[in-house]
Amino acid sequence: MSEAVAIAHDGHSHDGHGHDAGHGHDAGHGHHQLTENNFLGLPNIKLAMWAFLGSECMFFGSLIGTYFFYREMSLGGPMPEDIFDVNITSISTFLLLMSSVTMALAVDNARQRNFGKMRAFILATAAQGAAFVGFQIYEFSHFVAHGLKLSTSLFGSTFYTMTGFHGAHVSVGVIWLVMVALLATQGKLNKDKIAINVEVMGLYWHFVDIVWIIIFTFVYLLEFTR
Amino acid sequence: MSHPTHADGGHDLPHSHQKHYLIVAAVLTVVTAVEIGILFLPAVNGTWWVVPFIGVLAVFKFGLVVGEFMHLRPDHGVYKFLFMSPMFLALFSFIALSALAVVTYQPFGGGYAITQRDRKAGFVPPSAGGGFEVAWPEDKLKAAFAEAEKGGFAKGKATFASTCANCHRGDGGGMPALGPNMTDDCFKHGGSLAELYTTIGKGVQGTAMPAWSTSMSPDAIRQAAFFVRSLKGKNVAGGLECVGTKVAD
Ligand code: HEC
Repeated sequence: MSEAVAIAHDGHSHDGHGHDAGHGHDAGHGHHQLTENNFLGLPNIKLAMWAFLGSECMFFGSLIGTYFFYREMSLGGPMPEDIFDVNITSISTFLLLMSSVTMALAVDNARQRNFGKMRAFILATAAQGAAFVGFQIYEFSHFVAHGLKLSTSLFGSTFYTMTGFHGAHVSVGVIWLVMVALLATQGKLNKDKIAINVEVMGLYWHFVDIVWIIIFTFVYLLEFTR
Repeated sequence: MSHPTHADGGHDLPHSHQKHYLIVAAVLTVVTAVEIGILFLPAVNGTWWVVPFIGVLAVFKFGLVVGEFMHLRPDHGVYKFLFMSPMFLALFSFIALSALAVVTYQPFGGGYAITQRDRKAGFVPPSAGGGFEVAWPEDKLKAAFAEAEKGGFAKGKATFASTCANCHRGDGGGMPALGPNMTDDCFKHGGSLAELYTTIGKGVQGTAMPAWSTSMSPDAIRQAAFFVRSLKGKNVAGGLECVGTKVAD
């Protein structure tokens, strides 16, 4: 929510270098410092996002590490190879991967000030993200139907915690994307600040994708190696 | 000043990267297809290098998205530092955890249970009798129970301490979210000797209660059932709430 509001209020030209009088200071929305360049000449909002994503590395690193620590240590219940479906997961993985492409194109169009195309790519990204979450909901209910619950085994606990947090991140991203697209539709975005804000939203989105790249390979595909 | 990547003076628009992004997208697609496809090649899947290979591909995709889509490669070093130092820290904790799992691994979890890994490795515990037989008739069980009672349920008691106490607590009082109280007179799956024997042998699907017939002989399971039955009605202090229905006798 607050991000979306911030999107309407802050912004700066991309890449954080320089800075031109026409950009960034004409919003009349008070003294938002987020997209101002700091003493490094970098926009604070982008620095903040990278710092946040660094901490997210640790977060997901521990969740994936814990999954591996307890891998194959379950006493009972369904095992990964009993319930994983490589076809379904490959489709949803591919969707998420392609959503990174549409996200990159949205950022590019925001920089080109093609706001119509930007919005279309943002919505395409959100749609793919939503489809990914849909696949995950399907997968989880399928697993529960096969007797794997959060409390069934070490596999259940570590798997649902890890992938559940990832799915929650995707969901937050989808909400963020949809809100920005809505604000763009209503013309409520500051056109001079939109590029940096969409770029920062893109950083978050790509991060969610790279976490899945790791989970897909090391959690799912690993079970299908002989 | 920062690190300029593209000319963006005044109101000039930065040049578009769209073509570049589409090339990256194509590479990502091909790499993912290779990653998945390789698992369907019986000649390849099974060789030692498959796991490292798909690992390298995943790291490559990771780098491609971070470097190109997230634009980190040409971007300012401060961003790189902010992202990559915790990333490597996370990587090292991951490696440390995995190494710890290997180093601390013991067959049968150090003696009390068969894990999935033990089964995959083909370990068969010394006590396993192989297979799970149906419960004896109740009168035969009662006679065996009386026999065990004379010995103070020593065998079942030992099994319980080593194998069941992790979830049901040393005195059988149960542990929240792990295993129910064995010392009340409530049972979800029945309190007769035959029912206890079957529950312990088959486990309770969809709960943490494992099927012990995969790791214990029928006799060991019977002895455990006798001991559990002997706990009934002891109502140890601090035991969990009753779950299931009361069994009078
Ligand atoms: C990993 C945890 C765990 C271990 C180890 C474990 N149990 Fe259980 N046990 C449970 C859980 C959880 C339940 C409850 C199942 C349910 O909700 O129906 C249960 C239920 C039972 C029941 C059925 C109780 C009833 O209400 O009907 C018996 C009997 C039992 N366990 C005996 C044993 C014995 C004997 C052992 C050791 C050989 C053992 N358990 C080891 C978790 C465990």
